[in-house]
Amino acid sequence: MEHERCYIYTPPESEGRSSKRQRTRKRDPQPQRAERLATYREIWAQQEDRIQVLSFPLFSMRMSKQYQAALEEADSATQEKIINFVAASTRAEDEPQLSIPTGLVVAGPSIASHGPFFVRLGQRIKEETNSRYAILTSGESPNLKTLLKNLITKITSRIDDDDEELGRPTTSSRKGLKLLNFDLGHVQEWQKMNRVESIVIAIQDSEAFDTGILIELIDLLFSWLDRLPLVLLFGIATSAESFEDRLSGKSLRYLEGQKFDVTQSDEIIEKLFSATIARADVRLRIGPGLSRRILDRQKDHVQNVQDFVDGLKYAYISHFYASYPTVFLQEGLAFEDLSSDVFEAVRNLPSFRRWVEGLLDDRRTHDVRKLLDSDQYLYEKIIEYMDRGQLALSMLSQAVILLTCIREALHMTPQIRLSTIWTRAISGELLGAPLLRETMLTVKKTSSDKLAHVLASLKELDSDENYVSLESFQQELNNLIENNKNSTPLRSQDDVRNESLRTTVVAQKVLLSKHKAALSEQDKAYSDLVAHFHDRLEAYFNAAFVDPRTLFLSEIFMYDLKSPHTEVFQPRPRFAIERALASPHDYLGCDCCGGDQDEATLSATLPATAVLYQLYLNAGALINVSDLWSAFNVMVGDKDAEDESKTMALFQRALAELKNLGMVKPSRKKTDHIAKAMWKGL
Amino acid sequence: MVSAKRKRSDDDAEDATPRKLRARARDGDDVDIPEMQTPSRKARGQPAAEAGTPKSILKKTGLLNGTNGATPRSNRKLLFETPSKSANDQTPNGSPAIVRNADRSARRKSNRKLIDRAINGVDSDDEEALDEEEALAEEILSDEEQQDTEAGAQEEIPVPDTPSKRKPGRPKGSGKRGRPRKEKERSPTPPTELPPHEEYFWQSRPGGTKTSNNTLPSQSLLNHDEYFQAMQAYQDRHEPEKEFLLELHSRAFDQWIFELEEGFNICLYGYGSKRPITEKFTARLYHHLLEQSSEKGSKKTPKIVVINGYTSGTTVKDILTTIASTVIPTNTKLPNQLTSLLAYIVDYLSENAPSQPIPVIINSIDSPYLRKGAVPSILAALAAHPSINLVCTADTPNFPLLWDVGLRSQYKFLFHDATTFAPYEAEIDVVETVNGLLGRSGRRIGGRDGVGFVLRSLPENARSLFRILVTEQLALLLMEGDNLEDDETPATPRNKKITQTKTTSESTQGVEYRVLYHKAVEEFVCSSEVGFRTLLKEFHDHQMIESRKDAMGTERLWVPFRLEELEGLAEDLSGDAL
Repeated sequence: MEHERCYIYTPPESEGRSSKRQRTRKRDPQPQRAERLATYREIWAQQEDRIQVLSFPLFSMRMSKQYQAALEEADSATQEKIINFVAASTRAEDEPQLSIPTGLVVAGPSIASHGPFFVRLGQRIKEETNSRYAILTSGESPNLKTLLKNLITKITSRIDDDDEELGRPTTSSRKGLKLLNFDLGHVQEWQKMNRVESIVIAIQDSEAFDTGILIELIDLLFSWLDRLPLVLLFGIATSAESFEDRLSGKSLRYLEGQKFDVTQSDEIIEKLFSATIARADVRLRIGPGLSRRILDRQKDHVQNVQDFVDGLKYAYISHFYASYPTVFLQEGLAFEDLSSDVFEAVRNLPSFRRWVEGLLDDRRTHDVRKLLDSDQYLYEKIIEYMDRGQLALSMLSQAVILLTCIREALHMTPQIRLSTIWTRAISGELLGAPLLRETMLTVKKTSSDKLAHVLASLKELDSDENYVSLESFQQELNNLIENNKNSTPLRSQDDVRNESLRTTVVAQKVLLSKHKAALSEQDKAYSDLVAHFHDRLEAYFNAAFVDPRTLFLSEIFMYDLKSPHTEVFQPRPRFAIERALASPHDYLGCDCCGGDQDEATLSATLPATAVLYQLYLNAGALINVSDLWSAFNVMVGDKDAEDESKTMALFQRALAELKNLGMVKPSRKKTDHIAKAMWKGL
Repeated sequence: MVSAKRKRSDDDAEDATPRKLRARARDGDDVDIPEMQTPSRKARGQPAAEAGTPKSILKKTGLLNGTNGATPRSNRKLLFETPSKSANDQTPNGSPAIVRNADRSARRKSNRKLIDRAINGVDSDDEEALDEEEALAEEILSDEEQQDTEAGAQEEIPVPDTPSKRKPGRPKGSGKRGRPRKEKERSPTPPTELPPHEEYFWQSRPGGTKTSNNTLPSQSLLNHDEYFQAMQAYQDRHEPEKEFLLELHSRAFDQWIFELEEGFNICLYGYGSKRPITEKFTARLYHHLLEQSSEKGSKKTPKIVVINGYTSGTTVKDILTTIASTVIPTNTKLPNQLTSLLAYIVDYLSENAPSQPIPVIINSIDSPYLRKGAVPSILAALAAHPSINLVCTADTPNFPLLWDVGLRSQYKFLFHDATTFAPYEAEIDVVETVNGLLGRSGRRIGGRDGVGFVLRSLPENARSLFRILVTEQLALLLMEGDNLEDDETPATPRNKKITQTKTTSESTQGVEYRVLYHKAVEEFVCSSEVGFRTLLKEFHDHQMIESRKDAMGTERLWVPFRLEELEGLAEDLSGDAL
C-alpha cells in the first residue's frame, strides 16, 4: 500500500478484534469526558451564535442556510451600497454609455478575507438583482486570452448544459462563422437568450494582476459596452489612489468609478472580541495571557477573522477536553452525577491551595478539615464559589465596558480599544494604573455638557448592574442645566479653567500659586454632583477590578494556558526537526545518548542521521562527501573494518534524509561535494 | 642598531630567489603604473641616488618615510628594535641559525605571496587558491612580532632595477603591511559560538571553504541490493524508544478525532517518517467511524481516502477522483477538467452532505509532486469544505511557507509535533537520492557495463552517436580542467576572463543540442532531426543521458558519468569492446 498513490483504506482482517479488546481493558483515562464535551458544545454554541449574529464572511461556507441572512450584518451596509450601485447602473437599452460603471471595493490588507467577501457579495447580487456575476482572480488570468476564456465559461456555463449545446451550434452556424473560445461574442449570444440586466465582473485581487492585462481588459470591455451591460468591480487591498496610478489616463476615462470601503478586519475582530470574550455573561473566560496572544497574532500575522474564531474555539476545546474539573461549568449539576475523582482534582488546584491557606490564616481550621474530608461540603462550596467567581468576572467585564464607554464619550486620547483595556483588567493590573487614574481625573474635570453626554451614553449600555444611580444623576444634572442662565456650560471646581496661575517675585524667588476662581452657586452645586459621581464610579471600579487569578476556582472558569495553543497554531517545524537531530535525547529519552546537557557531544550511539547532522553542522558551506564518510565511519563504524557495508548503508540513509529535508544540495564546484543549505537556529 | 641592520641585509643575500622576485615586483609595477601619480616630487629624487644598493634598503626606506610618510619616526624605531629582540627570543634551543633561517625563508616566501597578490589585484577565486599558503604565512608571521613583518615587507619590495619604479612600490608595501595584520585578526581557526546568521556569512565568505580533493571510490557506495541487504541485517538500538514515541503519539488519537469532529484539519510535522502514525491513526479512525455508523444502524463501512504524496507522479487528479469515488455514485460522469471536477465535488458534497465527513489522509503533503502550481489551492479548497476531514503529514522543515494567509485560513490546520525518528522507508529512495546528490545518477543503469549492455542492443549509428556525445563531453571537461590549471598561475589581465569561463562552464554542463546534431549529421549518423530525436529517445528511456535547458534557453545534453568513467566509456566505445 505504501507505494500506491491513492487508495481507500481497508482494515487488515486480524486487527479488528484486538484493538477492541484493548479498549475494554483500559481504564477510562478521561472520566466524564462526554459530559464535559456536552458542556463545551453548549457553551460554544452560544458563542457561535454571537459570532454569527455579528457575522463575518468566512463562516458562510460552513453555515447552514438559515443563518445566511444573519451572517451578512458586518459588511451588509457596504454590500447594500454595492448592490444599489449595480442596480443603478442598469440602463435603458439604446442609451449610449460613455464609460463602464466601476466599483472600487477597498477591502483592506487582509487578503484572506477577500475571497469569501466577493463570494458572498456575488450571492447577494445574484439574489437581489437580475444580473450575472463572475469573479476573476490573478491566478487564473496569466494573460488576456486565458482570462477571457475563464470569463466566458464563468458567465455562460452555469446554464444547463443541454441548453448550451442546443443553442450554440445553431447560432454560430447561422452566422456562418465559428467563434473562437475567447471571443466575447459567446457572452453576447448568451445575453441575447438570457437578457440579464447587468453582467458584473469582479476582479478580486487587482493588485496581483499584470497592469498590461488590466488595461487591455478595460479597453476590450469598453469596446463591448454597446452590446453588453457590463459592470466592473475591483477588489483593492491598498488604496483607490494607487489603483488609479497603475492605469493609464486612457483606460481611466473608460471607467466611471465609485469607491466602497469594506469594514476592516481589525474592527470586526474588535467587535468579535467584545462579543465573545469581554462579555458580561460568558461562562468560560479566556485569560489575559491567551487573549493577548490571540490579539497579537491577529495584529502581527494573520488579520483574519476565521483564525480568531478558530483560536477561541480551540481554547474552549482544550479547556474542556483536558481538565476534569471543568465539568462544574455544566449548569444544574447534581452531586450524585460526580465521582470522587473530580473533588480530588479540585483539591489539587493551586487556587484551592491558596484559598485553604487563606482560611488557615483566619484560623478556620474546622472548615478546612471539612473541605478536605467531605466531598459533599466541597461540592456546595464549589457551586457557591463558581457563582461568585462568575459574578466577579462579569462585574469586571461590565466595568471595563463602562470605562471604555466613558473614555469614548469624553473623547480621550489616545484611543484605547476595549480589547486592550479588558486584557489589562483581567490580568489584574488596571487598578492603580495611569490609564484608570487619568480617566477618573478627566471625569472630575468635565463640564456639564460633556457629563450629560457621558451619562446618556452610559444609559445606552443598559446594563443591569446598579453601580451608580444613573437616573438620579441625570435628573439632578438636568435641573442644574435648566437653571443655568449662562450660555457656557457648568464647570466643576477641578476644571483647569477655574484656576489661574499667579507668579510673584518675592526676594528674588519666583513663587507660583494657584488660585481658584470664585465659583458661582450653580457651579458649586455642579461640582458637588460631579464629585459624587466620581466617588461612586471610583468605588465601583475598586470593587470590580480584582485580579481574577487570585479567585478560588479561577482555573475552571478561566482558561489561560499557553501550551497547546501556541504549538497548534504557530508551530515551529524547523526548530522541532533541528532539535530532534541535534539532541535526539529530548525525544527518545534513552539512556545511551545525551545524558549530559552538552549539545556538541557526539557519540556513536546517536541515530545515524543525528551523527551526520552534527558533522554537517561543523562543516563549512561546501562539504566533501568522502571526508564526511570517513568522519562518519570513525564515529559509527565498527572498529573491525570487514563490516563496512552496514555503516555505509547507514551513511547513505542519513545523507538521503538530509537531502530530503532540504539541508544539502548537490554542488558541481568540485567532484563529490555537496553544498550546505541550512544553518541551524536561524 | 647598526648590527641589526647588517644582519638584515645579510639575510637578504641569503635569499634563494632574488631574481625572480625582482622580476615579479617589476611585473607588478608595470601594471600599477597608473597608480603611481601620488608621490611627491621631492621624494622622487632621493632614492635615485641610492639605487642599486640592496644593503641600504633599510636606510633608504627610512629616508623615504621621513620625506613623505606621515609617521616616520616611530616606524624607524620599530625597524631597529624588533629584529634583534625576536632573534634572541627565537633562539633558545640548540640550532638557532637553522631554525631562524628556515623561518625567514618561509616568511619571505609568504611575504612574496602576499605582495604578488596585492599587486595582481585580489580576486575572490584567486584568493581561494592562495588561501592555503596564506594560512601558512599567517602562522609564521604571527610567530614573530608584528613589527617584524613590517620590516620584512619593506625589505622585500624595494629591489627593483630602476629606482623610479621602486618608489611607488613602497606605498604598496605599506599597504601590504596592513594586510597581514588584518589577516591575523581573521585567524585560520574558525571562530566558535557564532550566531547562525554570522556563521552563514563566515562560511560563505569568499574563499572561505577549504575542502580536500578526496573522492569516494565508486565501489564504496552501495547499490540497491547491497543497501537493502545491509539494512536488513541492521538492528537499531533505539527501537524500544521509537516504539515508545509512537505509543505516545497514539495516545493523542482520541484527541485528534475530536478535533476533526470539531471541523479542524490536522497537520503532523517533525523528524522521522510519520507513515506509521498515520497508518495507526487510520485504523483507529476506521474503528471509530465503524462504531459510530453501527450505532446509527447503518451497514455502510466507512471510507477513508489515503494518499501517498511522496509517490512519484501523484497528481491532484488522482486525489480528486479517489475522493469522488467515495461519495459520488459510480455511474455519474465526472468532469474532465481539474477546476470543474473540484467544483463538482464541492457542490455535490454541499448538496448531499454525507452523514460523516470523509477523512482524507495525505502522507507528505509537502512532497514535490503536491507543491506545484495550483495543487495547494485545490487541496485547500477541499479541506475548507465541512464534509472533508484532512489529516496530513509534512516532512520538510519549512513547509508552512507553502501556504499564504488565505490558504492557511482555508486549511484550518491544527499542527501537532509528531517526531518519530522512524526511517523514511517508503518516502525516500536512499540509493537514488545519494547518487543524485553526488552526480552519479549514471549508476542507475549499472554504470559502464549497463551502458555497454544497452548499446550492444542498439544499432550501429546509435552507438556512434553515443560515442560522439561522450567524446564531446570529455573534450569539454578537459578544456575546463585546463582552465582550472591555468588559474593556478594567475596573471592579472587574464584573471577575470578565467573566472568568467569558470563560472559559465559550471552553468553549461554538457553538450549543446545543436552542436551534437550537426556533429552527428557530419558523421552520417543520422540524416534528419527526426532520426536524431529517435536515437536520443532511446538513450533517454534508458536514462543514459540527461538534458536540461540552461540559462540562455539552449538545450544541453550530457551523459551522467564522472570524468574517469567517461574516459573508460570512451575507450570502450572507440575500441571494439562493444
